[in-house]
Amino acid sequence: MNDTQLILTMFAAVGLGTPLIFATVGEIITERAGILNLGVQGMMLIGAVTGFWGTFQTGNLVFGVVIAMVCGAALSAVHAFTSITLRVNQIVSGLALALFGSGLASFLGRAGSEPLVGHPSRAQFEPIFTGGIADIPIVGPLLFGHDPLVYLSWLVAGAASYYLFRTRMGLSLRAVGEDPASAEAAGVHVSKVRYVHVLIGGALAGLGGAYFSLALTPTWQDDPIGAAGWIAIALVILASWRPWRAVFAAYLFGAAERVQFTLQTLGEPWSDIPSTLLAMLPFILAIIAMIVLTSGKRARLLGAPSALGVPYFREQR
Amino acid sequence: MTTDAPTDAETDLAVELRNVDKAFYGVKANDNVNFRLARGEVHALLGENGAGKSTLCSILAGLYRPDAGEMFLNGAPTVFKSPKDALASGVGMIYQHFRLVPNLTVAENFALGHPSTGIRLDQKKLQEEAAELGDRYGLPIDPSARIWQLSVGEQQRVEILKLLYRNVDVLILDEPTAVLTPQESKQLFKTMRQMADEGRSVIFVSHKLREVKEVSDSVTVLRHGRNVGGVATADAEAEDLARMMVGRDLVLPARTDTTQPGSVVLAVTDLRVEGDRGLEVVSGVSFEVRAGEIVGIAGVSGNGQRELALGLNGLRTPTAGRVFITNFDVTKASVLAHIYAGMSYVPQNRLGVGLAPGLTTEENLALKAFRQPPYSRGRRLVPSAFRSEGARQIEQYDVRGVRPGLPIRLLSGGNLQKALIAREIEMGPKVLILHSPTRGLDVGATQTVRQLALAERARGVGVLLISEDLDELLALSDRLLVMYEGEIVGQMNTEDATAERLGLLMAGKRQGEQT
Amino acid sequence: MTRHVVVEPRGLASVKLRILVPVLSVLAALVVGGLFLAITGENPLDVYRKMADVAFGSANGVSNTLISATPLILTGVAAALAFKMLVWNIGGEGQLIMGAVFASGIAIWLGPAAPSWIAIPAVIVAGGVGGAVWASVAAIPRVYLKTNEIITTLMLNFIALSFMNFLVFGSSSPWRDSAVSTFPTGQPIPTNARLPTFFQRLDISIFIAFGLAIAAWWLVGKTRWGFAVQVVGDSPETAKYAGISVPNKILVVFLLSGAAAGFAGALYVAGPIGALEPRSLDLGLGFTGIIVAALAGLHLLAVIPIAILMGALNNSGPALQSIGVPTSTITMLQGAILIFAVGGEFFIRHRIRLPRKESTPQEIPDGVEVA
Repeated sequence: MNDTQLILTMFAAVGLGTPLIFATVGEIITERAGILNLGVQGMMLIGAVTGFWGTFQTGNLVFGVVIAMVCGAALSAVHAFTSITLRVNQIVSGLALALFGSGLASFLGRAGSEPLVGHPSRAQFEPIFTGGIADIPIVGPLLFGHDPLVYLSWLVAGAASYYLFRTRMGLSLRAVGEDPASAEAAGVHVSKVRYVHVLIGGALAGLGGAYFSLALTPTWQDDPIGAAGWIAIALVILASWRPWRAVFAAYLFGAAERVQFTLQTLGEPWSDIPSTLLAMLPFILAIIAMIVLTSGKRARLLGAPSALGVPYFREQR
Repeated sequence: MTTDAPTDAETDLAVELRNVDKAFYGVKANDNVNFRLARGEVHALLGENGAGKSTLCSILAGLYRPDAGEMFLNGAPTVFKSPKDALASGVGMIYQHFRLVPNLTVAENFALGHPSTGIRLDQKKLQEEAAELGDRYGLPIDPSARIWQLSVGEQQRVEILKLLYRNVDVLILDEPTAVLTPQESKQLFKTMRQMADEGRSVIFVSHKLREVKEVSDSVTVLRHGRNVGGVATADAEAEDLARMMVGRDLVLPARTDTTQPGSVVLAVTDLRVEGDRGLEVVSGVSFEVRAGEIVGIAGVSGNGQRELALGLNGLRTPTAGRVFITNFDVTKASVLAHIYAGMSYVPQNRLGVGLAPGLTTEENLALKAFRQPPYSRGRRLVPSAFRSEGARQIEQYDVRGVRPGLPIRLLSGGNLQKALIAREIEMGPKVLILHSPTRGLDVGATQTVRQLALAERARGVGVLLISEDLDELLALSDRLLVMYEGEIVGQMNTEDATAERLGLLMAGKRQGEQT
Repeated sequence: MTRHVVVEPRGLASVKLRILVPVLSVLAALVVGGLFLAITGENPLDVYRKMADVAFGSANGVSNTLISATPLILTGVAAALAFKMLVWNIGGEGQLIMGAVFASGIAIWLGPAAPSWIAIPAVIVAGGVGGAVWASVAAIPRVYLKTNEIITTLMLNFIALSFMNFLVFGSSSPWRDSAVSTFPTGQPIPTNARLPTFFQRLDISIFIAFGLAIAAWWLVGKTRWGFAVQVVGDSPETAKYAGISVPNKILVVFLLSGAAAGFAGALYVAGPIGALEPRSLDLGLGFTGIIVAALAGLHLLAVIPIAILMGALNNSGPALQSIGVPTSTITMLQGAILIFAVGGEFFIRHRIRLPRKESTPQEIPDGVEVA
């Protein structure tokens, strides 16, 4: 593999990894509150279609992103209601969200007399820096050759890390996911904390979805995000519930996805490795991580929230 | 309203409760209780299990609101709406189950929910403050350690320091020594003294006379939810306190029959069993139960009785010792092997251990016998047998309120217990272990359960009765053993038992030490 | 104090309520779907009428509905069986695919010479084995290492999908049709391993699915083993106390759940598709099975009618395109049905009332010691 291809691969990995960062950080925040939301795929797709629509209507990218985040959060509110207020099964509720979201997204993209499907976006995110520092060999493109959302994703991961571990609200969040009864005894409003962070998670998933339709492939197609929502759920484990690690985990998978194309360009014997097998990699890694890292008592060492997926009944003191 | 509270207004009262009532489901847990806590004292709250100590503390800590009565904080009438409220007023409680978030550090637990301003969580400053506080009270802690890495004793220190960090004036410690080693208890007493010397007030809940004598300035004794006395510790002898705590004239057992016990059906030698936290809580227990006798195990709960029962049933494999049912060694055998060897067990926890809450009464009656005829033929169940056997047992054991197809959890406590005992008796056991068999039951059901136990004795079953209810133990047992901190600290024939003697043994005074 | 709502656990929901909740869930989902249809300029009633007509309006429609329902019965059984035991096997998708891989593999390996009475049972058994093997990858860590099975089963879905794609698209494996090189498809399995049809395109797999659902119901409800399983599902502590081996029961149920999904794959391959055909197997049948189980209240016989309803939805989807309505309407409706059904669980489990008088705010739950 020569240098150019390496840089190209790394550059592409950043692009492919960016939506995963948003969605993974969002799911980390949600799970840190003790709520398992398996509906990431649905929220991302809703973000993708509504973001595309918003920009398609106005030509304004910021508007599209905001709409995507609002709609992602709105969908996650359904899950928040079922799992926090109604305290029903979070697993089934999350799957329902995934299903409903993907159905609705595809529906919205195709419905009406002038469907979105097949249309290119009226605007798309472009690299901020052109010329100058972006032309520095190697470092230039990798650090300065990206669109604004890439930088936003770094900011989001950094901010989420700071929030979780360096602020009082972050402390309450971690406590609620870990031991809601003790948190409540110490004066924390458990339901409120959970609602807020499920919504934040939904908004970030929506943003991640919008990255696909407004930056990566700025044309509306039926299934623009592949399995990104499901991968994000796996990445949460690989990142062991820490936002900064999500960045590296996401880029690793971005690279794994890109490698399929890179290998084709390298000729024999690399091009013989079937892409269908490479596609398994993220999931195999996630399972190994799950078994090795989170089995039994080790989960606690990693940071897996103990109360994850367990409904909290306030009256059970 | 008339209170018999003395009017010595010059004493500096931190908290006063007047005529407090609190009932749960019509059962009075606190009945017209008066309680006075002076500033700068360690005040022991003494009483048996179920005497109303925890309820009183929970009222003080804002967890429960009293049905009637008044509370005064520093002389002013006060109502606490929540524990948060109480904490803000300087009253904090340490529960038996700690309220610490396991995955957070010590310092983070200090900061959690603390009403300080600012968004930023200054870990370094917090840790310094925490360490400083620990040093000041002789409770060294590592502020950066996570709670789950700490021993139970260390966790308790964190709980205490957490309250001190919030600068509470009144600390309530609910049976704090229950989880501590003797050395740790010593250190805790020192800290309690120091806090009192600083002008704080400490409420120390206990049923251990020795500790109460050792650490407290004054004692309030509760019995059956009533305040039966308040004295300065120095003025009271351990025997007096024991009598106040147990406080009943002995009801001599009405058992007139003198059946001769038969052969040994349960033999236990040097049994050692670990508790949930991996510490040994049954430490070398040996005893025998013969056919046709009832052996009672007295003791305050939490002294290893539950783990003893688990160890005897194969639900927890003993770390050492032997258990024989008749002449089968079942020490390391499976639960099923115990059942087949003739062990029946009525656990303390009826729903959730003894009975499957969501299954029907008929199904629960078949829970152990379903493997054999008539309930199953080969691998197939025989539904008609479930119905007919169920109907017979429901009739015979007078289980009321059963409606077909409905889960058993809808039955009342007494009927649950009758169904549970029915199933265990129907297994035709050689040994029957009853753990708190009448706790929470009404008079009628209590009577039925006791009669069933006596009937099993008459039939030649060896019965092991683990209970905290002295009346029950005295009424039913042929012999009594007293368990304290995982050991049998005394045994006697029921005829020789007195409340005083039992009370002292239960509170940790060994047979030899008694004067 | 203001009046407040009291929510309390319900003893037992009436049968009426248990039927009402799924029915209302479907209706509510139709209303929500109708809303979106109306927003995008369609007449919801016309769309729904069209769907009903496609699904049940003709012999061909009924036949296709039942074909669509067949795998859903089995993935529904797979989910219901596992969820009853609090085993969150959401890997029905992958187990179905691996069932299909094993089933088509054995059919191709046996070749056209094997008689049907050997080939067909072999195909079905292989499907069950494939599903169980795939489930074991998650089940064994779950039972022996306490590894959360939700994520592992979910991930195994994608691995199975990639593996199937590899067999057909990414390699020259026996599963790939060697006669077609430009646009790869699955190798058709020999006709003697195919299930015979009896009505339109409908083959006997529907009866096998019925039979397996009834067998599962019988196994759980009518046998000694099933009784032990029910005790474990209701209260693992009680089961342990009664001498029942809890890990063993969880493992076996997990594997049976995988086998049920594997059977679905086998029947689909040996029935309507006739080959390991990724485009026909990657339809979310495993996920739809979870909807079926949830709507059926985890009842193993109620799974059958619910699966037929979902099959009807799936079957009517493609026809919507002819009237200019996206096929994805169906997915949206199914998702909405599941959301309402899972929300409805709350009303099955709890009773809500507005007390006239303020009740004691600190009632202690059962089992709490009043000391």
